[in-house]
Amino acid sequence: MTREKQLGSQVRSLLSNLSEHGTQHLTEVETDLMQTSFLLGEAIEKLGASFMAIHEAVSAQQASIGLLLSGAQPTPELAEQLEARHEDIARHVNAAVTGLQFQDLTNQLLGRTLRRVTGLRTVLDVIGSGSADISEKNVEEIVKTLISINEALEEQSVKLESALWKAVCQTGMESGDIELF
Amino acid sequence: MAKTILAVDDSGSLRQMVVFSLRAAGYQVTEAVDGQDGLEKAKNAVFDLVLTDQNMPRMDGLTLIRSLRNLPTYQKVPILMLTTESSDEMKSKGRAAGANGWLVKPFDPQRLTEVVKKVIG
Repeated sequence: MTREKQLGSQVRSLLSNLSEHGTQHLTEVETDLMQTSFLLGEAIEKLGASFMAIHEAVSAQQASIGLLLSGAQPTPELAEQLEARHEDIARHVNAAVTGLQFQDLTNQLLGRTLRRVTGLRTVLDVIGSGSADISEKNVEEIVKTLISINEALEEQSVKLESALWKAVCQTGMESGDIELF
Repeated sequence: MAKTILAVDDSGSLRQMVVFSLRAAGYQVTEAVDGQDGLEKAKNAVFDLVLTDQNMPRMDGLTLIRSLRNLPTYQKVPILMLTTESSDEMKSKGRAAGANGWLVKPFDPQRLTEVVKKVIG
């Protein structure tokens, strides 16, 4: 293969690797951000509904207590109402506690996104520093430099991918499965 | 006397939810910020149950379980994983490490307390 063809081949590899790895990492970033957005949206919706429901149940409970304070007799119906309100409040608080866990899930997704973006910057730095004095080299040296950059690019990309296990697959805020062994 | 639980998670907000749920059910809960902290606290006191996350800095949940199972005092103590991980592969690893159950986040406080009650009473 002539030097010119070798050079062309290495330039093509560099551009194609850069495009492939860059697209792959950015697609993952896009997916994680979309998942974060879904989780945040659903969490806010559920939390809003829980807080409104808690407010309604507490208001109803307060009305029953108000009746007792104004001298009404503590009838079995009133006792049942108070018990039911108490259960309502507990149920809505449980739902709110489930919804509040969005921070743990989204924090993991955002951490993964941040590590991917930082890793991608490292990949681009490798290319930048490797090509800094390329204009002063002859064709043979340029080919060697490009081979070295291509290898470093591949290595950085593999290193980045292996450090980014996806631990959060949840796309909603409903409570997860339980399995006893 | 209240049963004691060690809750291990690097997320402060998640620990807060676990503590809130389990204390409301009458359990005494001690918090640990990661697997290493959990192991140190477990060496200083024997808990009735350990509830641990998987992905944490310094020491992950599976390593914590393996380390606990090597301690004579923790060979029979129930250990539950509470994690975002839900793959069968991870569950198998947890089971092999010595976990007694797997709970996928987010958890429902009532279901969590029901499971804990079933396991330690």
